Amino acid sequence: MPREIITLQLGQCGNQIGMEFWKQLCLEHGISPEGILEEFATEGTDRKDVFFYQADDEHYIPRSVLLDLEPRVINSIMNSPYANLYNPENIYLSKHGGGAGNNWASGYSQAERLYDEIFDIIDREADGSDSLEGFVVCHSIAGGTGSGMGSYLLERLNDRFPKKLIQTYSVFPNVDEISDVVVQPYNSLLTLKRLTQNADCVVVLDNTALNRIAADRLHIDTPTFAQVNQLVSTVMSTSTTTLRYPGYMNNDLIGLIASLIPTPRLHFLMTGYTPLTTDSQVANVRKTTVLDVMRRLLQPKNMMVSTPVHRQANHCYISILNIIQGEVDPTQVHKSLQRIRERKLAQFIPWGPASIQVALSRKSPYVQTAHRVSGLMLANHTSISHLFERILRQYDKLRKREAFMDQFKKEAIFSDNLDEFDNSRETLQQLVDEYQAATRRDYLSWGTQQVRFQTCDVLLLHGIIKHTVIRL
Amino acid sequence: MAVRSSGEGNTAAALLQKLCCKITGLTDDSVIPHYQFALRILGSNSTPVDADEFQVVQKIKRQLVRRGREGDADSFSEMHRKLHSQGVLRNRWAVLHLFVTLSDTGETSQRSAVGEAMLGLRLGAPATSTPFPSSTPYTENRATERVTSKPSTDSLMPLAGASSSTSHHSQQTTLSSGISSIRGDVQSDGPTPVPQSFMPSGYTTPCTPWREEQSRRPPDTTDRQSVFRPPETALVLRSSRAMTSSTLTGRAQHDNTASEVPESELLKDLIYTFQGIEGKWIKLDAGRDGYRIDSQAGIPKAVRHIVSKLSECGWLYNKIRTYVQSRSTDKAFGLIGQSFCAALHQELTEYYRLIAVLEAQLQQEDDDQGIGEGDRLTLKRLVVWTYDPLLRLKMLAALVDAGKGKKGGALASTVYAYMQHGDPYIKALIKHTLTLVSQPIYSTLMRWIYDGELEDTYHEFFVASDPTVKDDRLWHDKYSLRKSMIPSFLSTDQARRILLTGKSINFLRQVCQDRTAIRGRDSAMNTDIKHGQSMFIQDEDASFQKMIDGVYTDTSRHLLDVLHAKYKFMDHLKAMRRYLLLGQGDFIRHLMDLLEEDLAKPAGNLYLHNLNGILETAIRATNAQYDDADILKRLDVRLLEVSPGDTGWDVFSLDYHVDGPIRTVFTPECMIMYLRVFNFLWRAKRMEYILAVIWKNQVSNARALIPIPELGHILHQCQMLGCEMQHFIQQVQYYINFEVLECSWDELLHKVQEAADLDHLIAAHQVFLDTVLCRCLLDEKSREILTQLRTIFDLIIQFETAQDNLYQAANEELDSRNHFDQQRHKRTEEGEWAVTEEQEQEEQERRRTFLKNIIPSTRAQMTVLAQSYQDMVLRFLVMVTSHPDVSLRFLSFRLDFNQHYKVKEPTVRSPLAGYRQRSRAI
Repeated sequence: MPREIITLQLGQCGNQIGMEFWKQLCLEHGISPEGILEEFATEGTDRKDVFFYQADDEHYIPRSVLLDLEPRVINSIMNSPYANLYNPENIYLSKHGGGAGNNWASGYSQAERLYDEIFDIIDREADGSDSLEGFVVCHSIAGGTGSGMGSYLLERLNDRFPKKLIQTYSVFPNVDEISDVVVQPYNSLLTLKRLTQNADCVVVLDNTALNRIAADRLHIDTPTFAQVNQLVSTVMSTSTTTLRYPGYMNNDLIGLIASLIPTPRLHFLMTGYTPLTTDSQVANVRKTTVLDVMRRLLQPKNMMVSTPVHRQANHCYISILNIIQGEVDPTQVHKSLQRIRERKLAQFIPWGPASIQVALSRKSPYVQTAHRVSGLMLANHTSISHLFERILRQYDKLRKREAFMDQFKKEAIFSDNLDEFDNSRETLQQLVDEYQAATRRDYLSWGTQQVRFQTCDVLLLHGIIKHTVIRL
Repeated sequence: MAVRSSGEGNTAAALLQKLCCKITGLTDDSVIPHYQFALRILGSNSTPVDADEFQVVQKIKRQLVRRGREGDADSFSEMHRKLHSQGVLRNRWAVLHLFVTLSDTGETSQRSAVGEAMLGLRLGAPATSTPFPSSTPYTENRATERVTSKPSTDSLMPLAGASSSTSHHSQQTTLSSGISSIRGDVQSDGPTPVPQSFMPSGYTTPCTPWREEQSRRPPDTTDRQSVFRPPETALVLRSSRAMTSSTLTGRAQHDNTASEVPESELLKDLIYTFQGIEGKWIKLDAGRDGYRIDSQAGIPKAVRHIVSKLSECGWLYNKIRTYVQSRSTDKAFGLIGQSFCAALHQELTEYYRLIAVLEAQLQQEDDDQGIGEGDRLTLKRLVVWTYDPLLRLKMLAALVDAGKGKKGGALASTVYAYMQHGDPYIKALIKHTLTLVSQPIYSTLMRWIYDGELEDTYHEFFVASDPTVKDDRLWHDKYSLRKSMIPSFLSTDQARRILLTGKSINFLRQVCQDRTAIRGRDSAMNTDIKHGQSMFIQDEDASFQKMIDGVYTDTSRHLLDVLHAKYKFMDHLKAMRRYLLLGQGDFIRHLMDLLEEDLAKPAGNLYLHNLNGILETAIRATNAQYDDADILKRLDVRLLEVSPGDTGWDVFSLDYHVDGPIRTVFTPECMIMYLRVFNFLWRAKRMEYILAVIWKNQVSNARALIPIPELGHILHQCQMLGCEMQHFIQQVQYYINFEVLECSWDELLHKVQEAADLDHLIAAHQVFLDTVLCRCLLDEKSREILTQLRTIFDLIIQFETAQDNLYQAANEELDSRNHFDQQRHKRTEEGEWAVTEEQEQEEQERRRTFLKNIIPSTRAQMTVLAQSYQDMVLRFLVMVTSHPDVSLRFLSFRLDFNQHYKVKEPTVRSPLAGYRQRSRAI
């Protein structure tokens, strides 16, 4: 089966959301927690082989690699009903089991040491696919394992599989609560550099927004990990439906991503989902039309990224993809688009053509939902840069005080100097700048001035030439 | 007449012989046959005697009573009864008639002067007994002919045993039998031989057969040689008509001093006229096509008026009879025509009855002079009595007129046109006629809608069948409506349904091999077959409509069920969507991946078996493998016609084989349309994938080329152009997906579900294809736009090539730089100077040259590409906006959702611009 996707679950967070993701996929494809195809799921319209491989006629195994430096989460998976779902050879637990101690550098260094073992698994998994489309990485950017090990793996995956796509589902830390991970800004910054440079597409899962949604929209006072992860797994599974239920379009990851990402660096996607309801609210679910869904998806309160709404700022959509599931009248799509344009519900880039893509996708027949129609939005919006700016600000604050640097300096990468920090900051700053440039009409000629400066001057230098952006 | 009247005794015969000699110019001896012939002509006449035994008996009794011989009358009736019961004598009527005539002649010959003149003929009789040498063999010949050819038609034919005793009137009987046998000849060809009894020879004898009869006289003449009293024969032959009329005339001359024609005379004439025979006074005026009264006759104007009115009956009768006679022998006239004739004939029979009664009345009056005035037949009475028959005749004549040259259903329509007549009497008549006429239609119809069999030898039914059509075109071409033959009492919709019902049955039987009998067929065939009436009284009775609807619904439903259940119509339809319309995305994607290399080759280098192998692989690797084996078996690769310069992309096509009943829906024309759509979608899909590759290259190269920042802006330029193309193609694809495929598909499914018969299904499918074709810009109107779109596609391919060249050059440069760095690094490790001045400069020079070579040229190339691409897109948008088909606006709407192009080219969305475009085009 062509166009397979291998999932890498890194660290505590990555494994948690990964597990939820697989639970959801099993449900949707009618696969039992043991990986056996249920009797009712014989209909052959879904593509299970993108995410699973077939051990025998009825036994499906996820193309998933579970990596962690401490055993807690993986052990809980192994004690769950889903223990036998995964290929045990694909589960890698660091032998020393001490974790990364929420330290990016530790995770990065440990991953470096475990390179061979980890890539044995990944290579084997890649060899088992007919034509691998790419990797999906689940991790958080704030912790130690997901961020550090994730960063290292992103770099190496790029080297080793230069032609394969890398998509990540990256959980951004919650800024509303005071984190117990004090070095969170360091970890985030260092990871974001890799996400910018080594990933092809990053789906941003903002814990701030997720918790806010759980509290405000779902009326859960103290949302648990499981409840938040439920949201995440919904987003993940829905964004892959077009791959799993083939139709006329969006049958491969690249087609899905390519239309959302115009330039290689602007690849951070926001998500939105509707309807966001808990079971208690099911009773009063109204009749939902395509227009309703699309309109709600454009409302900030349904977005899973917390970006401050600045009316005066010219932030705009670079691209939008709405994946709509359920009983939808296809003839309504056009009308809905017309209404949205008439009412100017979405502000688009000024420098090129852009529009809302709508994909209608089948819903799994095995999962009963209360909602007739549901929708997921994947959007490339320039306001995502606020998230990065916030991280930059937090980093700058810490960095000024040189706080908590000792732990980092212990690791090889920072043993000589802290250039890596500066370097990462610069990369992230460039990203923020590019996002801002993308709100302006002259984005088309963006970078021209910078090059002119470099060609006359930097040619004399050898080695690494740093991008210095001259802001006008 | 002249000869007869001037002739006296032997001289009459002698004169006749002389005349013959004179006319023929032959000698006395050789003229004998002619002479005999002439004698026969003179001797013969019509014998309009009542061949009714009862009447004769009555007549005899009346005469006896009149003469005061009641006792004789009683014993006569007693004897007659015995005779009747014993049945020894066959030709009782003839015998009795002879007696009557014998007794009559005695009286009349003494009374009438004219009678004496006629008796004079008696003297001529010996002349007829002139030996005639050739008579014997001729007689034998004639006799055998009679025996062999007309024994059954002639009930009056003398038996061999009785021939001697009845030899006298055998001449008569032969005469009448001759006539009736001629009639029998005529009618035996017709569809419904009219029983002899309805046709007393005297009334209906037409002129033509009469002459024929005369030409057959010789045997009769020989018969007459044995006749004891030839004069009587002659007298009888003169017929009651001639005789009584002359008697009456004589009497009239006695009664009236003026030359007024007596009423009874006129009545007689009228009775003849009624039968289409010219009377004494009333003659057929060929010029004015009607009967005219002799203007010389002394008839008062009022009477004239009445008579001419009455004579219309005769005229009408003639008209109808002529029609019936000419048509009933015409085989090509068909069943419906024959029914019509039969209906007319039935009416005529009624009419004959009337005439018979009138005649009898008249005769009775003649015989019975003493009858009171009150019972006499008068002109006025005749008017009253014939009022209704006249009306009927008029109606029938009108039908005959209107139906001239028509047959089959058209004839039925003509009759039906009179159905709405206000007169209930007429209405009943028409209804009766129509019932008969429509019966063949109805039985054909029943056979057709229940058995699908078309028994229509004469092409009268409104369903026509073309036997040359093969099974695969059966539904489309074999059966058609014969518009002119649709009876007007059936609506077009009913006719359509009837056509469809029978067609469905035939389709089921012949194409689907389904022999299930139609529900209710047997009971319908048993009970309904006589209900032809229900067709044209639909305003009163809905049973016909109900029956048609019922059969139509059942049959159509059954047909659709068979198509769905046995021939899996929906599965095939979905397969078309999945494969030919690229609905099975994963399969298409994989197929294109596998084919990419092959299709880039020139079209001539493609081998079907290689491609088929690839198709197999693609099926096995994707979800297509779960499809029904039957469907996969039908999937095939097809190469379109190769024109010079084509690559594999231009000629490759998937194909889907259809056979059997579903081929009726998926006709070869439809399949061609599918292939055209496939070709278009396949190209569009290819663009999508090319752009995905372009994007992937951009991403990986952006990463790889970070060490050469000078290229940054070129890469950005490429990315911008790529993203614009990506947007364009994506939106075209979304347009195809929703506005073209999904929407039409939705409509199609809806219609398929609602389809009541196969025609609906076919129409829905055709509409679907037409819509898809049109919205895919594949119709004539959009040719220009399609060309424009192809140009855009070409530019995308050009862009891919240009960008690949750039990346290749850049990557080579990167390799050189890496190599240089590695060298330097190696030397440093070896403890040497990393670089010499010379090497350093050489490297710098190389880098400068690379940048100088690659940057301006690529930049220029990209700028040109971007410019022409944007121009093309703008022109495309303008064209789409001005396209007459509104559905294409969806495309322009999608392509310029954020009005990026509108800013650049304000005419893109203005409707006026479109108008200007069009008018310029004109």
